[in-house]
Amino acid sequence: MKITVRIPTPVLEGIRADLARPHAFAGERVGFMAAAAMSSPGTLMLLVRGYRPVDDDDYNDASHVSAEIGAEAFRKALQWAYRPRSALLHVHSHHGFGKPGFSTVDLRSGSRFVPSFFTTIPRMPQGMVVLSNDSAAGLVWIDEHQDPITVGVFAQMGRRYRRDWSAS
Amino acid sequence: MSWLERQSFLGPDSEERLNDVTVAIAGLGGGGSHTAQQLAHVGVGGFVLVDDDRIDNTNLNRLVGGTRQDVVDAWPKVDIAARLIRAVNPDARIRCVPRKWQEAVSEIIGADAVFGCVDSVRAKDELEAFCRRLLIPYIDQGMDVHEVGDGFLVAGQVVLSVPGAPCLRCLGVITDEALEEEARNYGAAGGKPQVVWPNGVLASTAVGLFMQTVTPWFTPENLGECFEYDGNLHTVQPSDRMRRSRDLPCPHRSTQDIGDPMFDVRRMVTKPPALHRAEATEVSRVVRRPWWRRLLGLSSSD
Repeated sequence: MKITVRIPTPVLEGIRADLARPHAFAGERVGFMAAAAMSSPGTLMLLVRGYRPVDDDDYNDASHVSAEIGAEAFRKALQWAYRPRSALLHVHSHHGFGKPGFSTVDLRSGSRFVPSFFTTIPRMPQGMVVLSNDSAAGLVWIDEHQDPITVGVFAQMGRRYRRDWSAS
Repeated sequence: MSWLERQSFLGPDSEERLNDVTVAIAGLGGGGSHTAQQLAHVGVGGFVLVDDDRIDNTNLNRLVGGTRQDVVDAWPKVDIAARLIRAVNPDARIRCVPRKWQEAVSEIIGADAVFGCVDSVRAKDELEAFCRRLLIPYIDQGMDVHEVGDGFLVAGQVVLSVPGAPCLRCLGVITDEALEEEARNYGAAGGKPQVVWPNGVLASTAVGLFMQTVTPWFTPENLGECFEYDGNLHTVQPSDRMRRSRDLPCPHRSTQDIGDPMFDVRRMVTKPPALHRAEATEVSRVVRRPWWRRLLGLSSSD
């Protein structure tokens, strides 16, 4: 299945700006995108409608990872994505340039928390996205019991339409 | 040397970008055929060509690529456009859909841009709504010949419609009066007067807007554009109505109205059938409207 994630440029710019803000103790920031969905045979479109940062107080002071968020952050995100019913995409940035990749920690933790989103929003796909400064990578689950599918195309829509998530 | 060498100013990776892009063109008549030809020349790699019509004798005055033999053979307009594109770029990825655009949703959904070259006001309205729901740039072009006094006025417009920018209704391209008049004619746009050169001007403007949207040769100042064509004065000007509407929220198409509100991912998951067909409980069969018709409030028979 070919998965495309489309995002309005102002939303993407807002995400990058938010994730670049320093936190009092966390090494990086994370957030969530809410996306509408549409499909045709063999194709799934995720259409980002908004972004919600994780509140400063919802980061755990964890020394073994760069950033860890608690249950309250997930609860708030799921409540936000519940209506209008949206796919919830966890997002963070590795900064730098070029195609980013998920770390082992990202993949291990994501494979636990992303499928749990189906309990609250079973009708929507769920996923995780990692950004660099000019690109993105993503995994999407269409079923909590199946392996995730790699996002094939990232497109941004604004004054310019691009099939990647670079800034220019 | 690349056949696109002379347009390298469009950006260092423009050739690759254009090749990666897939455009859908709804309507392959006078406007759409011009558009298809130009998009082939600039190196667009993917095409979804949508039109349920076949060429006839009255199309020869404006359908680019159409021949008298095509008329004899009653060739589908999508096939004429495909032949035109392949003559320029044999490697183009072309999907011909000889149906109305409303029956080509599965093919259009993955397009990176949609060109609306349809005559019907209602079709424009629906196509724009569809593209906004999918976050696809929609480029509409249209022309009319009006009888004014003892003469005629040739006029038209090209609109780049994107979420957050004024829509065709904001710009007066679509009005309730025009929709009602068309409905009184049972949805037919009618055999409107059409000539080749205004279509060429409008198609060139539409392709220019597309190029500034997908390549970095020029940074557009605005989100969305509208240009008005006066075929008597031979001028193309930015629309004053667009200028006045630009900073106002579009009351017709909310940026939050995206996707399919009835979407259910569980329908996409393949699971083993629980019951043999013969054992399955009989269910009532209801004619299910496509999602986009439900959203627009249209019945199955509209």
